[in-house]
Order: sequence, then C-alpha cells, then structure tokens
Amino acid sequence: MRKVAGDWLKLRRADAELSQADLAARLGLKYYTFISQVENGFSRVPTEIMGAWANELGIEQSAFAKHLLMYYEPELHRLLFGAESK
Amino acid sequence: MSVVAFERKQNTGEWSERELSAILAALSAATALGTGREWETGVTEKGDVQFYLLSPLPDQACELCVSRIGGRYILEDGTGRLLFEHWNLELVALHAKAAVPSTSWLMVRAITLWCAVRSALHEKAEPWLAEGEELFVQFVPQLAAFA
Repeated sequence: MRKVAGDWLKLRRADAELSQADLAARLGLKYYTFISQVENGFSRVPTEIMGAWANELGIEQSAFAKHLLMYYEPELHRLLFGAESK
Repeated sequence: MSVVAFERKQNTGEWSERELSAILAALSAATALGTGREWETGVTEKGDVQFYLLSPLPDQACELCVSRIGGRYILEDGTGRLLFEHWNLELVALHAKAAVPSTSWLMVRAITLWCAVRSALHEKAEPWLAEGEELFVQFVPQLAAFA
C-alpha cells in the first residue's frame, strides 16, 4: 500500500509542477533523497511534515492526511470514515 | 602521445558491485539470516541510486537509506533524518552499521521466551508459596505462645 501511496504522491507532485528537489527545498530538506524514498514506497510521509507537504502540493491538509491514511492505515481509515469514504 | 583514461565517476544509473559489497559488508549483521531484514535498491527521479535497508515483514519499512548524489553518499533514516554524508562510501557504510536499530529480532524473541518461562514458573510456584504462607499464618500464633 505504501507503493500505491508513493505513486499517488508522485502524480500529485507532477500536478503541482514540482521536481523532487523543488519539493525537498520547500520542505526544508537538504537533499531530495527522502522524497524519492517516500515516492518509491519505502517510507511514509512523516506526520510532522504532512501539513507542509500538502500545502506544497496544493492539497487541503485534512484531505491529504485522510487520503494517505487510506494507504498507510487502511483499517483505521475504514473505522474512522467507513468503507465508502475516500 | 598517450591519453590516460581516468575512471569515469558513476553519478547515476546503478550501484557498482564494489559499492554494493561495501554497504552489504557493513550491514552484514543487520541483514543476517534470522533478522528478517531485507534490502532493495531504487533511484530518484534524476537517476541517483538509493539503497534501502528494510525492516522485517509485515511492515518492511525503510530503516536506513544510502543514496549517491554526484559522487557524494548520503545516509538517512526512514524518517528523512540526515545521519551522515561523505564522498567516502566506506565511511558512510560504517555510520550505517552504527545506525542500525540495535534491538534485533533474536533479542526480542529471547526476551519474550524469558518472560514466558518466568510467567510459567511463577504460576507453578504460586500455589506452593500460598500454601506455605497459609501454614505460616496458622503456626505463628502457636509459636508465639511457646515463646
């Protein structure tokens, strides 16, 4: 599921017309390697920078967090928002 | 006149065998059989190579990541924390070795087993101890009377 989340994040970044390096710089990261780590599906977007990540992609923070929760914690997402909610 | 062929620095593409060997040698204990850890490689959108040390199943999350950008090696943890960077891979690999979470699954299993044995022993010994305590409570007044 993290891989699917990574693909989704990659698409949203492309929509925002940002490179991995652009996004990393805007998030205050020295290198863009972590963006790649997340987009390749090996790590999650850390909660502490989830809001900033959403802002840079032009997505509403709660919608962004809710969408990622669907991939990262599907059961918790189902309990909170029901099976139909996305 | 002869031209000296300098070795071209690998900046993008794939890990060389020498590089992968250096990383895997440093992480040999972390990736040993029984730890449950695995590793994978990937690339950034610019084609910089990355090495991911993954935690055991089911999570298989990145614990450490070594990337090579323009001849420089970057060591990060799974949350994006920059741990070390240097052009010398051997040095970076040493830092990676030191950064591996130390509580191995074998250790966790050993502790769990120890707790289970202790709990079982306690359960068996408890009736004996209770019985002993009961006897003691019964006899103390009598012993006190003799004293």
